[in-house]
Amino acid sequence: MTKTADRASGALFVVLGLALYFYVFPNNIETVDSGWVYPSTIPNAVAIVLIVCGAILTVKTTQQGLPPAREFGMALVFLALLSLGIWLVSVVGFLLAAPIIAPALMLAIGERRLLWLALGCFATPALIWFFVVQLLDRSLP
Amino acid sequence: MVDVATILAGFGDAFTLWNLMFVLFGVVVGQFVGAVPGIGPVMAMAIAIPFTFGLDTLPAIAFLVGVNKGGLVGGAVPAVLMNTPGTPDAAATALDGYPLARKGKPLKATKMALFSSITGDTFSDIVLITVSAPLAILALRMGPVEVFALMIFAFAVLSGLIGNSLFKGIIAAALGLLAASIGADPEHYTPRLIFGHYEVYDGLPLASVAIGMLAISEILRRLSQIRGRMRPAIVVVETDDPNDKRVTWAEYWGCRYTMLRGASIGTVLGALPGIGSTAAAFMSYAATKAGSKEPETFGKGNLHGIAAAESANSAVVGANLIPLLTLGIPGSVGAALIISAFMIHGVQPGPLLFQDQGRLIYGLFGAMVLANFMNLWVGQLGLRFWIKVVSAPESMIFASALLLCIVGVSMATGGLFGVAVMLMFAALGYLMTAFGYSVVIFIIAFFLGPRFEISLSQSLAITNGDLTKIANYPIALVLLGLAVASFIWFLSRSKVDEADT
Repeated sequence: MTKTADRASGALFVVLGLALYFYVFPNNIETVDSGWVYPSTIPNAVAIVLIVCGAILTVKTTQQGLPPAREFGMALVFLALLSLGIWLVSVVGFLLAAPIIAPALMLAIGERRLLWLALGCFATPALIWFFVVQLLDRSLP
Repeated sequence: MVDVATILAGFGDAFTLWNLMFVLFGVVVGQFVGAVPGIGPVMAMAIAIPFTFGLDTLPAIAFLVGVNKGGLVGGAVPAVLMNTPGTPDAAATALDGYPLARKGKPLKATKMALFSSITGDTFSDIVLITVSAPLAILALRMGPVEVFALMIFAFAVLSGLIGNSLFKGIIAAALGLLAASIGADPEHYTPRLIFGHYEVYDGLPLASVAIGMLAISEILRRLSQIRGRMRPAIVVVETDDPNDKRVTWAEYWGCRYTMLRGASIGTVLGALPGIGSTAAAFMSYAATKAGSKEPETFGKGNLHGIAAAESANSAVVGANLIPLLTLGIPGSVGAALIISAFMIHGVQPGPLLFQDQGRLIYGLFGAMVLANFMNLWVGQLGLRFWIKVVSAPESMIFASALLLCIVGVSMATGGLFGVAVMLMFAALGYLMTAFGYSVVIFIIAFFLGPRFEISLSQSLAITNGDLTKIANYPIALVLLGLAVASFIWFLSRSKVDEADT
């Protein structure tokens, strides 16, 4: 398992480097014929480094272990929740979205105590509003 | 050389009531977040940077320095009480702090951590204030070729020192450079890798990348490890003996050599990019134990163990600013965040900083000294309160931190596009950490990327594209030689590690 992690990430970087060098960079970086460092010089060098080091890593592995699959899954769940929250902010604004996002996150974390949930729902957004709008005189998203 | 009037004016700026307030606020926030396991000063600094936009440069930087310094003191509290360091730097503190707390002396242990932390920090600040200006004068003699060679050297050292594999370090640096190359290229100003998003024409927003990689990814990692039940509150057992609640002068003075050794180790290691305060703390602890007449008492609540770890990890903070202020190269994530705050406030770190912004720098030095005093006072008054903070529920802390990240990045980038970028980098940071790639190297490479490309371009222009002309630049040659030597050394070291394994 430990060697698999490095082999998998090394192979991924080889593929990524090749894709960047042969497809992404030629199509997304303008070609310039003058100057000392072309716009593609550093990105191309990076792609080559990724290919070479990725290839070496597939052979010269370390003792790197991976977190359990459950942790990856939970991280994905929280990332999805955050994305949803940010979408909600873009639709209804922070002040209306925050009292939904905060307790949703707290519930997902495992908080079941009503007092803490209520604090997360009302006190945190209110404090942020007071600090940003009233003290810093800036607007909330 | 900076004249005395500028130095005095700078220190005078630091001692205004307005600045004092921000230093104090920073120290309080730092100690608070340091005491909460999982937040830590780096995450707090990343979150706080966007909120400093409305401030002048000095109070903003002074506040962040206060957070950083306060965080190191606060980090010792959960290390001592729960054997769970609030920050990685405090891991060595737990070795003797926790056993001492179990003996009914939690206040004695946290106070010893506080005193030795401030002693180490003050020592390294004095070194910083003394050596950085002369070093900056030396650094001013460096042209683009030398700067380019220096960056190659810095990348070689960082890649080898941070993390468990040289090649993973190089990949992390390459990814940071790749992220830095998004936006207009510095020589021709043509859009590069922007995929139709003109919001990133000037490059990816610093706040989005830093907060995504350092704060959100770490919160995601912590959240994914929570298993349903909230962390239980801590039960602190104390004895009735007043001597068990304080550190006497005799006990403090008895640790003077330990603290001096720790502060020296921390200062030397802090001045070198990439080593970090955790390594300094463990090195100092090991050296103290090895030199002790009673090595068997270590790990069982020996005050020297706490003093060794805390003086060393705190001494790293001041010394970390030496490469930042003299060369513009951050030696740690904390320094990288301070560099980003400098840049956000329109100040370019590097050797010219002393010449162009001497007053600001000496104001910063003044704020650092103030922060040490504040740390002592706030720590003395607040230790009992921070002990309560340790038992705050993680659900509340992390949900609040996430909301603050969203608001902070939105304020920094002027909209939710930056927040979306933050989420992408949070996912990248999480995956990089999970697979053992250092986000620290990534962030430092990201900060240095544009300067690296400009230095390369200028170097090629100066040498007319003929790299053999580097032979005319002895400092650059030495630095490139050191970079190659470091690379070979790290490579051979990894072979030894493999053989050991």
